[in-house]
Amino acid sequence: MQGKGLLTGLSVTIRHFFGKKVTVQYPEEKLPMSETFRGGKLVLDQKKCIGCRLCSMACPNEALDLTVETDENKKRHMKKYIHKSGRCLYCGFCVEACPTKAVTWDKNYAIACYTRTDLTYDAVKSDGRNETHE
Amino acid sequence: MHSGLLVMTADMLSNGIDSLIGNTLITQFIMVILEIVAIFAVISVAVIIQVYMERRVCGFIQDRLGPNRVGPFGILQTVADMIKLMSKEDIIPAKAERVLWGITPMLLFIPAALVYAVFPFDDGAIFTDLNIGIFFVLAVMSQSVLMFLIGGFASENKYSFIGGMRAVAQMLSSEIPMAFSIMAVVMVTGSLKMSTIVAAQSGTWFVFIQPLAFIIFIISMTMETNRTPFDLVEGESEIIAGPFTEYSGMRWALFFLAEYTNLLTAAVLTTTLFLGGWQGPVLPGIVWFIIKVFLMIFVFMWIRWTFPRTRIDQMMGFSWKILLPLALFNIIATGIGVYIYNWMY
Repeated sequence: MQGKGLLTGLSVTIRHFFGKKVTVQYPEEKLPMSETFRGGKLVLDQKKCIGCRLCSMACPNEALDLTVETDENKKRHMKKYIHKSGRCLYCGFCVEACPTKAVTWDKNYAIACYTRTDLTYDAVKSDGRNETHE
Repeated sequence: MHSGLLVMTADMLSNGIDSLIGNTLITQFIMVILEIVAIFAVISVAVIIQVYMERRVCGFIQDRLGPNRVGPFGILQTVADMIKLMSKEDIIPAKAERVLWGITPMLLFIPAALVYAVFPFDDGAIFTDLNIGIFFVLAVMSQSVLMFLIGGFASENKYSFIGGMRAVAQMLSSEIPMAFSIMAVVMVTGSLKMSTIVAAQSGTWFVFIQPLAFIIFIISMTMETNRTPFDLVEGESEIIAGPFTEYSGMRWALFFLAEYTNLLTAAVLTTTLFLGGWQGPVLPGIVWFIIKVFLMIFVFMWIRWTFPRTRIDQMMGFSWKILLPLALFNIIATGIGVYIYNWMY
């Protein structure tokens, strides 16, 4: 019958009208980032870290500036783990290189900041938990 | 005699003013001014609600949420948009016919607002209950096509001019089936008076007696208000924005105001002619009227966001070759029906 398609169209749109909405209301809700997402700040788990510096050696752009101290038991501790994110390529070689899986990304993509100095931060000082710019 | 909520309020107000001033003539004058202010307030508020509603309905149909940030549920979005439009620079094209170009947006609003004089909002709440009410509506409503043509011509822009020409062609092809579909209602009622048409629907709404006329009316009203699928006057993909192309800021907002006033007119007309006007059980008349009008506005928006735009030749062909014969057939069928009805009773 002529015009049947019009009714089909109207029924489709009214179903969508009452249907579930796909909008994610960004500042309140956030989409979960995928497993392979590289980005945000580096998180250092100090309990796992053995101070081997393999991460900074893997870095192609010298974005990591580490200070390691050795205590009386000849055990190495990370004193400073400075990540110059302005130089960072976000290649993830540091995370791959870590033998104990102590370095991970926090997967926060809202990392824009106002000054260049804000780009550089110490992953040790922030104690694994990085303040983010909302 | 009339028991409507609006009439009672107006009576109370006029008695109050009369006791304050003590001169009946001045009281009547003040009441007329108040009524005019009231109708413009109603139109403006309705337009603001409609713009918000349009964006929300569009969003919901497209699985989005629509504006929901400015104010609670985003209801102040339209206000924010209006402030933005008012603060914009007033750009006049160098080659435009300045006077004609300038007055067009203002003139466009006049026929759009004038038809509200004969709409029955509630029991007895009608500014002038003309005995040729529906004829007046048809006559005034078709005037707005002139402004489209003037605006398109005065812009000195070929897209605007084509848009203006299309407006005329479209209006001519939509008015005739619409007039014939209304004629069927008038034949059943036996009157052109709006209040009589509403009163005749106290038993059965005309949408059940005249379903074909209702469908023809809805389609031709969509053409009349330049809404998708028949928004050829402003078809972006073909002629940018038609007659509105050269307008910006507040002048463009006036076009928009007139457009949404026309949409409200379409909904009010459908309610009055086919959905029993203000009549309904329990609730006061004005509440029923508002419910029905907004239901109709929703239907128009639903149609708009469902169908793609037609071509101008498709629209003209559909109007002249399908709608008009159907409307004529409906008139003949109604005439026979009315004749048989009168013969039997």
